[in-house]
Amino acid sequence: MQSKLTDIELIKRTLSGDQQAYALLVKNYQRYVFTLALRFTKSREDAEEVAQDSFIKVYKSLGSFKQESKFSTWLYTVVYTTAMTSLRKRDINTVALDDEDNFIQVENSNSATDVNSAENRSRSFYLNQAISQLSADDAAVLTLFYHAEQSLEEIALIMGIETNGVKIKLFRARRRLKETLERNLKHEVKELI
Amino acid sequence: MNNMEEKLWQYIDGTCSNDERLAIAALIEKDAAWRAAYNNIFTINDDVSALTLDEPSMAFSYKVMEGIRAQEAAKPLKTATNTYVIGAIAGFFILAIIIIMMFLLINGGGNVNVNLPAFSVLTNSSAIKVFFYTDVILLLFFVDTFLRRKRSSGEAKSV
Repeated sequence: MQSKLTDIELIKRTLSGDQQAYALLVKNYQRYVFTLALRFTKSREDAEEVAQDSFIKVYKSLGSFKQESKFSTWLYTVVYTTAMTSLRKRDINTVALDDEDNFIQVENSNSATDVNSAENRSRSFYLNQAISQLSADDAAVLTLFYHAEQSLEEIALIMGIETNGVKIKLFRARRRLKETLERNLKHEVKELI
Repeated sequence: MNNMEEKLWQYIDGTCSNDERLAIAALIEKDAAWRAAYNNIFTINDDVSALTLDEPSMAFSYKVMEGIRAQEAAKPLKTATNTYVIGAIAGFFILAIIIIMMFLLINGGGNVNVNLPAFSVLTNSSAIKVFFYTDVILLLFFVDTFLRRKRSSGEAKSV
């Protein structure tokens, strides 16, 4: 059985013409890239499109990857830029990405008005629901920090801001998540009563 | 409240100094409000960390690779043209011309008599004039296209 190849080995193979090596890279990162894209687009179809575009862009400019950062950081930078461009193009919901007072209104198929009873919903359901109600920027910071295993410095690189700015964004995103979660759960309790 | 939350998040992330860490740990142990806030935040942190990633469709990686293949196939002719092929074609024609010239020289014994038409015939012929003016119009058309393209690419770069 073939041992797991590192990102750099896979990149080298891709650059020498082995497309299967790039297919492996795609498989390794597709869940991270898709989840990050989903935090922006809030729809699976659009997220797939953004993720697909990002992987194609990365493939085309793989030769210019200088290995000054982790491949994942570089990849997420492309995803972040592609998702932002896509959002701006479509101008969805006309809500500013970093608006402190507004949250993107999401059409959530699993909303509180669903026929599923509140008792059957797990804590992860409520968390996912709360994350989907956050602004794209807040949700992206949380995803990059918790799931994409990016440090504050790497997130700063991806988002093109200072590390202190990321610290503030992360703190605000967590606070909003907590508030949204509490608000949603309060609503559920009221429904049960 | 915000200050407490901020400090607790720093404590959980491990981004505070050693002194701050000890002070916060003491507060969590002694103060019920701090302990309750810590437990709440710690649970959220744990839950968010434990969330599973979303899965794209089954055919996602296939679609990506197909997209790459399609883009490779649709490369502009300019970049796909092999310069060796162009060189080989040019070489063939040059070689053919040389062979024909040598053949003529050998068969003519060094006296090749080429009867060129008189210059006045060229300037007086209306067909030649039409040919010349068409060339001038075509040249102006190509210069105009070239300049327009250059200007539009310059505008695109500045955006």
